[in-house]
Amino acid sequence: MLLEVLQAAEAGGFILIQDSVQCCGRGILRCCINAALKRDEDVHVLGFESPETEVCAGLDSSFAQKLHFHKGFPDPLGWRGKSSFTVQQFTSQHITQLIRDSQPAKASVLVVDSLSLVLRHHDPVIVCQSLQELRKGGVVKTIIGLLHSDLHLQGIVGIVCHLASTVISVAPTNNERHAVATTTRRTKSGKVMQEEEYFSVSEDATLSVQSKPRQHDRVEKEQDSAEVDPASNLTFNLRLSEEERRAKEKVALPFVFSQEKKSALLRPTPGSGRIMYEPDANDDFDEEDPDDDLDV
Amino acid sequence: MFPELNSLLNASPDTFKPGDFILLSDRQADASFLIHHYLSFYLRAGCKVCFLGLVQSFSHYSAVGQRLGVSLTQAREKGQLVFLEGLKDSIGAILKEDTSEGTQALSYLRSPRAGLEGLFRFVESSLCQSGDDGPPVLIIDDLSVLLSLGVSAGAILDFTLYCRATVCSELQGNMVILVRCEEEDADDDEEGLNLLQRGLVHQCHLALHVEGLPTGYCRDIHGQMEVWWRQGENDAYNQRKIFQFKVHDKGASFFTRGTSRAVL
Repeated sequence: MLLEVLQAAEAGGFILIQDSVQCCGRGILRCCINAALKRDEDVHVLGFESPETEVCAGLDSSFAQKLHFHKGFPDPLGWRGKSSFTVQQFTSQHITQLIRDSQPAKASVLVVDSLSLVLRHHDPVIVCQSLQELRKGGVVKTIIGLLHSDLHLQGIVGIVCHLASTVISVAPTNNERHAVATTTRRTKSGKVMQEEEYFSVSEDATLSVQSKPRQHDRVEKEQDSAEVDPASNLTFNLRLSEEERRAKEKVALPFVFSQEKKSALLRPTPGSGRIMYEPDANDDFDEEDPDDDLDV
Repeated sequence: MFPELNSLLNASPDTFKPGDFILLSDRQADASFLIHHYLSFYLRAGCKVCFLGLVQSFSHYSAVGQRLGVSLTQAREKGQLVFLEGLKDSIGAILKEDTSEGTQALSYLRSPRAGLEGLFRFVESSLCQSGDDGPPVLIIDDLSVLLSLGVSAGAILDFTLYCRATVCSELQGNMVILVRCEEEDADDDEEGLNLLQRGLVHQCHLALHVEGLPTGYCRDIHGQMEVWWRQGENDAYNQRKIFQFKVHDKGASFFTRGTSRAVL
């Protein structure tokens, strides 16, 4: 499903890439940019958190005229007067004017890197309103946003996810070369589909996806493995023949105390021992009960 | 400078990667020894160092630097080291007695809501001055103090983003920042220390996290350090290793878990 999301971005869609400190989602973001450029679409990147060299690393240079990077990164708040786009300008009016200034032939793709910095400086309700206006405004075909989900309250992450038509959550795996992406897709009819896949990103922003086996498949695989004979195809014999098993059961264990061994080692004597005690002359024979003062 | 740590991280004063942001963090432990390592490391490498000392005085760092073989006084006199004494200059900033460069940098003390733009201007002017020094390095010890003084975590993350943009990206220098963490299961509000640490891990290239031993105190092992290389060739590639350490008077020993002298 991850490749379908990248190949065919729907009109009016909002793709949200959720990441955490455990796994960075900027690689998938670069793949989304690369896929949109290969579809011959205009891509506008609002780069607040990373420089252009980092976000556009590995992208095909033949699509350079289709990519419009709006530099927020050196100066996202306008402290130094070096920015072509500040976070205060994240409104639907400003972004619409920004895209119209580039005279696109058709609706463009808007990439926000990242929404976390926007949410830090704008009210979440205002951000959601701006995103909704941009989706329906006509100049933006698709919005792709990166969100560091562990930097915000769960409620804020929830409302942004609710607004998105597709949520891609990335998480690490035990394999260092791969990560797992949980893709949740909501169609216009309200149907929700979810799938987990392994992915890796190469240097030229190409995405490699492997299917993750589901729980049902794993249970079936365990049943199949139980029936496989592990003792077959070996160079030695793990089994016992019938006479070997009977000979094995007949062997007497050397240290078990059988009846014969007991009778050979222990000789019972007639009668039992008795203890006789003669009180000494200095013994104090006291008839008093030592527990007499107890109240029980 | 700790030679064992240099071999662990594949760095030396002659060959280290420019443009790196190194984040030091600790939880129930003290990672200050790493600050002293990096301070002596970059001074030996001939870098122009801007040091924001918010928790200790200059004489403290100078005394420790003497043990590690560097003279902070000489470095400051010849202009290689720019030292912001957060403790000493904060009195002037609060009392508004003078308007020197240091007190302008500490404008957040009077109005924490104004953010850290003044502090960033101090960093920018310290490191952007032209000279024959080496690449610039910014060292901050530590950022958690700003949270205690009323600056929000978002404002601190904005400040570190600006420092990273200027020092690491534009000037191709390095940054080393120390931040303290709370307990893992503490009530993590939006302005907590753990949020600040997570936000900085998102930005950094190398994270060194120092913790006490899970099994408790040990005389021969002072703690364990998790080394986390981030932003490799593949974004999904996250390499993490854990080493145990013991801090000595003039250095620190590092070993793989289970190979310390207390065990063998």
